[in-house]
Amino acid sequence: MIKSTNNKIAFAHLTSRLRQTLVATLSVTFGISMYIFMNGFMNGVNNITSDLSFSTLAHIRIYNDIPEDRSNLLKETVKPNQVINIRGAKTIKYTEGIKNSAQIIDLLKKQQDITGATQQVNINVFFRNGATKVNGLLSGIDVENENKLFKTSTYMTDGKWNDLNFRTDGTIIGIGLATKMSLKINDNLVVTTADGVTKSFKIIGIFKTTVAGVDNTKAYIRINTARQLLSENQSYVTDIQVDIKDYNQARTVANRIAPFVPYKVEPWQVSNGQLEATSQLRDILAIAVSLTILIVAGFGIYNIMNMTVNEKIREIAILKAMGYASKDIVEIFLTQSIAIGIVGGIVGILLGFLISFGVNHVPFRIATLQTLPMTYYIKDYSLAFIFGLITTFVAGYLPARKASNIDPVTIIRG
Amino acid sequence: MDNNIALSVKNLTKYFYEPETFQVLKDISFDVQKGEFLSLVGKSGSGKSTMLYVLSSMDTDYEGSLEINNVMLTGKTQNELAAFRNANIGFVFQFHYLLPEFSSLDNVMLPALKLGQKSKEEIEHDALENLSLLGLKEQALKSANKLSGGQQQRVAIARALINNPSIIMGDEPTGNLDSKNTKIVFDIFKQLAREKGQTIITVTHDDDFAANSDRIIELQDGELLK
Repeated sequence: MIKSTNNKIAFAHLTSRLRQTLVATLSVTFGISMYIFMNGFMNGVNNITSDLSFSTLAHIRIYNDIPEDRSNLLKETVKPNQVINIRGAKTIKYTEGIKNSAQIIDLLKKQQDITGATQQVNINVFFRNGATKVNGLLSGIDVENENKLFKTSTYMTDGKWNDLNFRTDGTIIGIGLATKMSLKINDNLVVTTADGVTKSFKIIGIFKTTVAGVDNTKAYIRINTARQLLSENQSYVTDIQVDIKDYNQARTVANRIAPFVPYKVEPWQVSNGQLEATSQLRDILAIAVSLTILIVAGFGIYNIMNMTVNEKIREIAILKAMGYASKDIVEIFLTQSIAIGIVGGIVGILLGFLISFGVNHVPFRIATLQTLPMTYYIKDYSLAFIFGLITTFVAGYLPARKASNIDPVTIIRG
Repeated sequence: MDNNIALSVKNLTKYFYEPETFQVLKDISFDVQKGEFLSLVGKSGSGKSTMLYVLSSMDTDYEGSLEINNVMLTGKTQNELAAFRNANIGFVFQFHYLLPEFSSLDNVMLPALKLGQKSKEEIEHDALENLSLLGLKEQALKSANKLSGGQQQRVAIARALINNPSIIMGDEPTGNLDSKNTKIVFDIFKQLAREKGQTIITVTHDDDFAANSDRIIELQDGELLK
């Protein structure tokens, strides 16, 4: 009975001052939609930056590191007070590359969170065309898996990526390299390895990534051709590149497989420390921005609710004079603020989605991007709504409690 | 002990602290009998309204003690006082203080709905009766801010009566009414005191109104003049 009376008063307050109710609702709506939009945008930017970074970088790289420092082989056996003298120390022989790649690939395939793995034979070479000589990287790759990991086919400006499957003497080179050496498709490219082996390749494609350093120095050939160039057997690789489901888990996954692989297992965070730093900084920035929005919007809502209560303070006094208890007063104003919170929240979610959707369609043609990036995570939307409810609850409760605790006469007397 | 005492104040003293400390009420003690029609008179600033608010339990910042219907009200919490007022005291302000968004009928029903002793239908019936008693039957469904000043004041009186309070207090309840309406209100108060034994305490500037009541208490500079 009394509950419905309180609700009736709350409803009368809300509807009698439509403009003010509207302003209060809009402040909730604005706060929530801005929160949703900023989070979606920041997350979108974060994701796209990671995607761009990982277009040329695998999450985990497995390779044979050159042996550690061996300049003092007797270090462990010599006692501190003994004197030794080693001159001209050099490593006479060590194993290059990975010899048993098939075994490692088998092992990786059994891991659940690994989404893809590809083998590479990377050789430092001189590219030559007539008198022009360019130092670069010749990458022997598995055509399909390479494309699966790095989407190399999307970077082709000339020729087709899959053609590499059909031409043992074919090569696909970076656009920078092609310009530097005045090469076009169907021209020949001469390659000289560090060991002095020279071979000529036919250019069947040209690619352009987002990284100029790669475009200027890299050429792809089939992995078997690369093995022949080095006179190595069919299971020889220099690198195994691995992608996993969540790139943030790279360290964990690397640590887990490392004991079973007799080579160096390096997560991207180790090889590219600056990427990890920027990624974390972006996350911190995103949190800072959304917290700021929450606080600013929260104070806005609080302010409006405070005003509403102050405007109604005389009515509060009258209700108290007639015998309404403090909790009735609090209930009346809480009902109002929660109603404002729910309506403002729902409209805010819709508006936030519309703004995000609109911004997501703003053209932005740089690198592989077509439009501005955006994410639509349910988590952001529900957090924003919950936040709106909590803020309006607090913003309605604090002034109402204050008003409900004073002598009615102090208000009436003015 | 004495069941005929409706209200009793002892050694009531009150200060205002703003803008400077000032003693408004000085050691006031008196009793009011049940069914008595009492007028509080005095010049502006004599403290009569202030005293009435203390008597109504809406002002708790005082020294001394207040008893209504043999219940000690001094020292009770805000919520206890609110519940007590709801059931036992009807108050009519100088200004009507109706909830402007509600109809006259809804305004009158509010205290009874809070009390919650009767069904909504009964309350509505009682409220309509009170309104017609004050000549407002036609205005029952109009929203309060569409009524004239006199009508609003009468709605406020109807609201004060809805819970059949044992004490009705008014702070110049007829201050905004013309002589015809003043007479109506006066007659109603008189009737309530006579027939239902309800105690009436009003602050008034109207000498006729005061002269016709059972007893007059005059305040001067915060002290009782007998």
